Amino acid sequence: MLMPAPIRNLYERWLARRLPPARQVVLDQRRIFIFPTGYGFFYLLVSALLFIGGINYENNLILALAFLLASLFMVAILHTFRNLSALGMRNGDSESGFAGEEGALEIVLFAQRRDHHCVWLRWPDQDAQQISIRRGEEESLWLNLPLPERGRVTAPRLRVESRFPLGLLRSWSYVSMDHYCLAWPRPQESPDCPADGGKENQQSFSSGQTGNDEFQGLRNYTAGDSLRRVDWKGYARGRGLNTKQFEEPVGGRLWLRWDRLQGLGEEQRLSILCYWILQLDPQRQPYGLELPGLTLAPDTGDVHRWRLLDALASYPDF
Amino acid sequence: MARIYQVPSHTRLWLALAVVLCSIPQLVKGVLWQTGLLALVILIRWLVDHQRLTLPGRIVRSLLLIGAVGLTFFSFGRLYGPEAGVALLVSLFALKYLEVVQQRDAYVVIVLGYFVCATALLFSQTLGMFLYVLLCMMVLTTCLVGINHSDTRASGWVHGKRAAMMTLQAIPMMVVLFLLVPRVAPLWNMQVGGDKARTGMSDSMSPGQISELSESAELAFRVDFEGEMPSRGQRYWRGLTLSHYDGRTWQQAIPQGIPESQYLYRPGNNKPDWYQRIAEQRESGLPGYRYQVIAEPTQRRWLFSLDVPFPIYGDVALAKDMRLVANRPVSERFAYRVESVPAVAEEIDLTRLERQLMLSIPEDAGVKARGLAQQWRLESPSAEGIAQRALQYFREQPFHYTLRPPRLAMDPVDDFLFRTRRGFCEHYASSFTFLMRAAGVPARVVVGYQGGERNELGSHLLVRQYDAHAWSEIWLENKGWTRVDPTAAVAPERIEFGLREALENSEEGSDLLDDLGLRRFSDGGVLALVSQWMDYVDFRWQTWVLGYDSVFQSEFLGDLLGAVSPTRIAIALIVSVGVLMGLYALFLLWRTGKAKQTLMEREYWRLHQRASERGRPLVVGLSPMQLCDAISEQWPQAAGAAQSWAKYYQKLHYDPASPPNKQQRRHLRRLRNRLYKLLD
Amino acid sequence: MQALDKVLAQVGRVVLGKEEQLKLALTCMLANGHLLIEDLPGMGKTTLAHALARVFKLEYRRVQFTSDMLPADILGVSVFDPATQQFSLREGPVFTQLLLADEINRATPKTQSALLEAMEERQVTLDGVTRDLPQPFFVVATQNPVDQAGTFVLPESQLDRFLMRISLGYPAPEVELQLLAGGDLREQVRELQAVINSEGLIKLSRVVGKVRASHELLDYVQRLLDATRSDDRFVSGLSPRAGLGLLKAARAWALISGRDYVLPEDVQAVWPSVAEHRLSARQGGSVAATTQSLLQSVPVIRR
Repeated sequence: MLMPAPIRNLYERWLARRLPPARQVVLDQRRIFIFPTGYGFFYLLVSALLFIGGINYENNLILALAFLLASLFMVAILHTFRNLSALGMRNGDSESGFAGEEGALEIVLFAQRRDHHCVWLRWPDQDAQQISIRRGEEESLWLNLPLPERGRVTAPRLRVESRFPLGLLRSWSYVSMDHYCLAWPRPQESPDCPADGGKENQQSFSSGQTGNDEFQGLRNYTAGDSLRRVDWKGYARGRGLNTKQFEEPVGGRLWLRWDRLQGLGEEQRLSILCYWILQLDPQRQPYGLELPGLTLAPDTGDVHRWRLLDALASYPDF
Repeated sequence: MARIYQVPSHTRLWLALAVVLCSIPQLVKGVLWQTGLLALVILIRWLVDHQRLTLPGRIVRSLLLIGAVGLTFFSFGRLYGPEAGVALLVSLFALKYLEVVQQRDAYVVIVLGYFVCATALLFSQTLGMFLYVLLCMMVLTTCLVGINHSDTRASGWVHGKRAAMMTLQAIPMMVVLFLLVPRVAPLWNMQVGGDKARTGMSDSMSPGQISELSESAELAFRVDFEGEMPSRGQRYWRGLTLSHYDGRTWQQAIPQGIPESQYLYRPGNNKPDWYQRIAEQRESGLPGYRYQVIAEPTQRRWLFSLDVPFPIYGDVALAKDMRLVANRPVSERFAYRVESVPAVAEEIDLTRLERQLMLSIPEDAGVKARGLAQQWRLESPSAEGIAQRALQYFREQPFHYTLRPPRLAMDPVDDFLFRTRRGFCEHYASSFTFLMRAAGVPARVVVGYQGGERNELGSHLLVRQYDAHAWSEIWLENKGWTRVDPTAAVAPERIEFGLREALENSEEGSDLLDDLGLRRFSDGGVLALVSQWMDYVDFRWQTWVLGYDSVFQSEFLGDLLGAVSPTRIAIALIVSVGVLMGLYALFLLWRTGKAKQTLMEREYWRLHQRASERGRPLVVGLSPMQLCDAISEQWPQAAGAAQSWAKYYQKLHYDPASPPNKQQRRHLRRLRNRLYKLLD
Repeated sequence: MQALDKVLAQVGRVVLGKEEQLKLALTCMLANGHLLIEDLPGMGKTTLAHALARVFKLEYRRVQFTSDMLPADILGVSVFDPATQQFSLREGPVFTQLLLADEINRATPKTQSALLEAMEERQVTLDGVTRDLPQPFFVVATQNPVDQAGTFVLPESQLDRFLMRISLGYPAPEVELQLLAGGDLREQVRELQAVINSEGLIKLSRVVGKVRASHELLDYVQRLLDATRSDDRFVSGLSPRAGLGLLKAARAWALISGRDYVLPEDVQAVWPSVAEHRLSARQGGSVAATTQSLLQSVPVIRR
């Protein structure tokens, strides 16, 4: 929508007041707007033409037809409204990403009172996604979100729109979800690992050796295990998802420390730490992170890596 | 180039069905090649949808279009005008369907469908056709629902149900709009459907003409009386007066030199003297009959009414010979409302010129009859006396009433009166009038219908062609024009019971009735009841729907709103549409599809909602105890209260041995309210 | 009910730190269903089965399935007896009250289905003679999920015959320590006291049928089943038989939990072990995760 900046600001403020952010939103008449689509106007024009035709031919039945079209249009107002009304939305999961790339937020839609057909959701300037929710069920939708810079990226105002059932009218609502995505720092390469402990030879960490670890056996995959350790060959043969067990590496535990990066800017420090987390992760050597106000014990695996990266992203308010 | 078909597959069948259904009324009355074109389009579409064929390219489609236009021109000789225009529209409709690729194309097809439906109503306005068009509308709406439902899993039946529901909801609103939206005068004039010539009365009468008419059971007109209905013997529907006789044929005539404005009174125009007199007389409170007539198309201007008709509404005028004239030929069903006041007839004068006309008979016709008339004149000096003599003559001499009279020779009057003596009403009316004129009594023949059959359901009257009748009117000095029906003298049952009974009792017997298919309602049985019903519905359709014009509307709105003013109409419109929308909103927005939530279920969800609003959103799959745990986790101070609520709830809800009673539910609510206070 | 606690306590002495799984196994027995244990070797499957047999005083047999096994090795065979000049049935190991079918996936499909049919019918037909299996009759089958070279994976339709599938998993470190310190398990199993005899078990499983389930609960079960059917992530939904099994298992669980009516929690507790092995996910999905997520998304109380 194009409008002059002051009006646009006023409009935004009005919207923000009318639709405050919430973690869970159920659309009601206060939130739903409705307006004819282009085709809706065309439809009314057809109705008017038929009306004129009916008048000119003095044909009551053609008049009735014109009135039927108009009545259908009116009934469609209610039906289009109804299709959005009572649609519930709440925060789902979020998927973090590096700053400058994209994260994703999960919106869980729930239909308490009725089916909702062909509902479109989109952030401003993003592609819309369509979804239908049956009564009493929940569906979730992942919407990509650009992450311009490190930190918490709050969800923009979500536009929920539907033209169902006749396409003559568009009902829409803006929903401000109190939901955010974490943007990890952009990794910045740095030759020195800001880490304590472990083997003295730092080089070996970045050389990507994996031969150190000794294969021990398999155990059932549990959520959170590194996908790199899954016995994919076995999985391909239909043996189910199992995780390869390795012996604890001999190198011992590593601590990535904020304090080791004295003299650098905050963001730069975070970026370097991020880079090293990514470097250390494939090594299967436990590594921990120490930030001002937060210490995360050494461990390995995807979940651990995510926890560390999320900590970097949310610095300094964990 | 592969093109993506964006109209979902669950809607394709509906779209094809819509195209076929909408086209059928036009195809039935149109030219054959249109059906061929549609069949070709449907076939191509089918093959395309089943991947047997690629969608025809632009060239093929253009060729088809040119072909359709060419054939239209070939068939109708032009490309404009109702028939050719409609043919073109239907072809265009089919061709547009052929090229449907995107949602937008489907929209265009649907809109074209509306227009095709409208044209169907242009040519036929029966109730059946309207219902059919409603069906088409429902299918078109189904298509709209379908193309807006992008889930590939959706089912076509669900669209149909939804569209049917929406259409049913739209219909009451349509009725409101139909009743309340003011009818505007046509912006420009159009006439469709030209010559629907039917059997009916002609403007002259020669022997055998009316008896021909008697062989048809076709409807002539219907009458809806507002109050009581005159008895059968009094129901003479006057159509035309015939004053000029050339020895064989009676024809309509008015005296030379009388201007139309003097002879014909059109409401709103200057009132001629005779009209002023009868109007004054009517004011004095004479009894009359009020009724509405719905005439079938005749292509003529004359209308039928009891004497003496005063037009109340309808585009009609009153002639001095006490009959109604339409202002333009009746080419479609035509409704007019009249009040007939028989007693004012005596106020209509007979000018010298008129008297001259009403006495004129050809010099050479009916020599013997003249003699007879002269003799009667000598015997009785008064006009009434002469008429009585004439009727007595018909009664006493061996005259027969028959539908199959023998042919008459050169001089029909003498031949009938003295030789054959077998005839139908026209013979009697014709010869009676001749005798009267010959005896110096001004007389004329009146043709019209007599009687009519009552539909018990609607208490309205049906007048059919076989009710056609002819009789005479004679001028009496103190009474004015007076009706004399010589047929009644010969066959009184014809007047009292109608043609069918008259025939049944006559020597020709009932086999003639069967031949003519004249047995209708009164024969009893289910069939008769059904046909009475059908007639009743059709009649009401005619009067209430098709006849609902601006006059009818203002009268109706006057009754409804007290007075008709734009503000009142606007308020009535807004209020009634508002009330309907409100009702629908209640129905649509408060209705839940399945069984309603029980009190216990609502109890749980209230707490669930409150907890979700105040804290973290909760998943729906929480048992009461899990909900309690979730609450305790977020509000440790509420743990105890939550626990007691959940324990109580699960016992009530899940132990079939202790179904909850009112008190227990109240207790539960108290527990919840206590819990609420701890959730902040 | 005290008897059930005692059973749990007794078996818990030899199957350490697996209360949940024990309870599920017991539920399965009370619900009169067969149990499938999917685990690596050496996780205590045999111990569990043996211990259960002992505390219920059931006749117990163990069959190690191999690929060269024939149906007759399980069911039995008609033997011509030269002395009586007649055929007599030599009963196979299936004629017992608790059969431990170890590594059932090593047997050929033919042998598997012979056993599974016997499980379903609770009777064996040999040479036209039908013989009932002892009462009660339970099968505890085990399957090694990892080493599947040369095995015949049980098809889904067969898996439906097992009321539940559980896996024991590794013991917790402190439990393992206890285990290591504990000494010979076989010896301990042999020392277990019988708590209830087999008649008592039959009586108990009749009591299970009397555990009440309210209409609201049945509605919840139905909606759970329906959710598996309408969920795109599964190839197909749960069968009505699975639904009946789920309800029965929930009743047994409620009984073990000391209640005479079923709560949604009971359904949820047995849900993974009843549902998971009957469902298969479309490509890429995890059955366990999806099955679990249904518990989150299907409202417990109808809305």
